[in-house]
Amino acid sequence: MKLPYTKLGVRWTGAMGAALLLAMAAAPVQAHHAFAAEFDAKKPVKLRGTVTKMEWINPHAWIYIDVKQPDNTVVEWMIEAGTPNTLLRRGFTKDTLKPGTEILVDGYQSKDGSLRANGRDLTLPNGQTLFLGSTDGPDQKK
Amino acid sequence: MKRQLLVSFGILAAVSMAPLAGQAQKKVAAKTSAPKNVPYARTPWGDPDLQGVWNDATSTPLQRPNAVGAKDVLSDDEAAEFQDQLKNNLSRDRRDGGAEADVNRAYNEHWMDSRRLKITSDHRTSLIVDPPDGRIPPLVPLSPERQKAAALRAAANTRFNAGLPESYRDFTLPVRCIIRTDSPPYLPIIYNNDFQIFQSPGFVVINPEMIHSARIIPIDKPGEKHPHLGKNLRQWLGDSRGHWDGDTLVVETTNFRPDDGVVFMGADPETYRITERFTRVDATSLNYEFTIEDPHTWTRPWTARIPWSKIDPAEQMYEYACHEDNYDMGHFLIGARERERKGEAK
Repeated sequence: MKLPYTKLGVRWTGAMGAALLLAMAAAPVQAHHAFAAEFDAKKPVKLRGTVTKMEWINPHAWIYIDVKQPDNTVVEWMIEAGTPNTLLRRGFTKDTLKPGTEILVDGYQSKDGSLRANGRDLTLPNGQTLFLGSTDGPDQKK
Repeated sequence: MKRQLLVSFGILAAVSMAPLAGQAQKKVAAKTSAPKNVPYARTPWGDPDLQGVWNDATSTPLQRPNAVGAKDVLSDDEAAEFQDQLKNNLSRDRRDGGAEADVNRAYNEHWMDSRRLKITSDHRTSLIVDPPDGRIPPLVPLSPERQKAAALRAAANTRFNAGLPESYRDFTLPVRCIIRTDSPPYLPIIYNNDFQIFQSPGFVVINPEMIHSARIIPIDKPGEKHPHLGKNLRQWLGDSRGHWDGDTLVVETTNFRPDDGVVFMGADPETYRITERFTRVDATSLNYEFTIEDPHTWTRPWTARIPWSKIDPAEQMYEYACHEDNYDMGHFLIGARERERKGEAK
């Protein structure tokens, strides 16, 4: 026997998704952070930079990168990321992302226009997701 | 209470194929509780042993989605499809839906607890088991004072979500790192779904990974009751008192602070009460169940059940020093003033 929703087929992502979101909205701490309140959806940024340091603080790690401008000057960007506890649990340490590593940041700039962005997707120049290999960490086991 | 128990038994009867052990409760808990001759069953002083680090992550929603109708438990095939759809909805790796959705879907999956993408092993469609429709009961009419408070809260949330907070007061308690998932009821979220339980004679301590507080719960014994604090003493995590009901730890909590966001869904802290039940099922699982009641808010009490899984000891608890205010409080407020300066505020 199939559920009613299976008969809806593609409608799942609309009506069903909305129903699920409503259901989950009742939880008090589904997402503690409305990113759109801090970062500007109208200011997507794609940055290529060299890591200078990473702050492993909760609830958001911060990665500092030096980004070379077209005129060869260098500016520092602060990139906000997720909670470091998950990375630790997956076996990553403070030494995993070493200063000097080149990364690509796909994210959104802060609303005040300063050089801060959320790192929506972080990848290495070869296209690998940053921290790739984590899917085999303990977090995946159940 | 008796009626509630009967309703719960009704649910269990309907889902008897599922490997459930839960509230409905006393009989089922007794049947599935740990036998006394295995090492995890008892502490040296004879209490049921709940100690260890546990994880409660799941994609099963608190309330039953309308689209699944009245179905409370799914077959294996249905469950697989339900899980896939939930996983697709929850995935942080997807980039569809436009920039507004995308910016709020930060950060991608490697920052998240992947256990949250699986439904509960008993294939329920909601964490709520009572009422039987799997939904939070209807609200009672709110007093004018509480309507006003709710309107003020909604206005603050609107300002925050529009990127225009007026002050730190527009930030919720979790964003301000005051309380997060350390306050009952414990509900699964995107990460840091771990809880460590310690026991000593007369006390149980629950230490959630997020964020920085532990509940130290005095346990009543026959002839030795720990009365609740006086009504005028109110705390972020409330005032908890425990007792053993067979092999189930029962924790009753009242005396929450009146601040917005301390109790669930803006209930009335004066009359709000949460009763949690912790039952060890086997070496690696525990049932966590809570009943919330507040006659000033809901038409009836309601109960949810969340299975907790013991995690590998190698996967230890990590400190969660919450530093949100260090950067983000400033960022939010600076951004808001910048938008006002540019005339974006309405």
